[in-house]
Amino acid sequence: MQKEEIIKAVQDVFIDVLEDDDIVLNYNTTADDIEDWDSLNNILLIVEIEKKFKLKFKLEEIHSFKNVGEMCDYIFNKVN
Amino acid sequence: MRIKQGDKFNEIFLVSESVYNGFISIFDDKNPLHTNREFAIEKGFRGVVTHGNILNGFLSYFIGERLPLKNVIIHKQEIKYHRPVYINDKLSFYAEVMNVFDEVNVIEIKFYFVNQGLSKVASGKFQIGVI
Repeated sequence: MQKEEIIKAVQDVFIDVLEDDDIVLNYNTTADDIEDWDSLNNILLIVEIEKKFKLKFKLEEIHSFKNVGEMCDYIFNKVN
Repeated sequence: MRIKQGDKFNEIFLVSESVYNGFISIFDDKNPLHTNREFAIEKGFRGVVTHGNILNGFLSYFIGERLPLKNVIIHKQEIKYHRPVYINDKLSFYAEVMNVFDEVNVIEIKFYFVNQGLSKVASGKFQIGVI
C-alpha cells in the first residue's frame, strides 16, 4: 500500500467519523487544523483507523504522533 | 478491562403496558400507529405498534446496569428494526463483544432482540468508552 493511498484512507475515516465531507488531510495536519478533532473524536478516529488497517496502536505511539504524516508513516510501516 | 472479545450476554425484556404507557407519558409520541388500533390494522399490523425507541431504553438499561462495568459512556449506537413489537411482547436480548480497543478503552458490542415467536425484531451495535 502506497503512502498516498494510506493518507486517502485515513482521510475517508476522518470524513466519516467527523461527518465533514470537506476535510482534506495532508502530512502536516494536526488537531489544531480540524475544528471537531477533540479528545472524544480522537478516540473514535483511533478505533476506526485500527479497524480499517487491521492494526493495534500502542498508547505511547498514539501520543507520539505529532501530525497526520507521522501516523501515516507508522501505518505504512505496519501494513507493508 | 473485565470484558473481552467474544463475551456474550443475554436478557429478557417485557414490553409491558406500563413500559408502553410510560414511554408515551414521558415523550408524548401519540402517533396513531402507536395509539390507534384501527389505524395500525388498516396499515397492515395486528395491533398498535410500540415505539421503536423503547428498545433503546432496554439497551440503556443493559449498558448502564447489566454490563460488568459501571464506568462507561456511550460513544455511538445504531439499530435496525426488522419487525414490529407489540404490547406484551417478550423479547430475548442477545449481545456479544465484537472488539475491545484496550489502548483507548473502547468496547464494541453487537446485539439483537428476538420476540417470543423467535423472529428477530431488531439488531445493531454500540460502542462504549470506559472512563
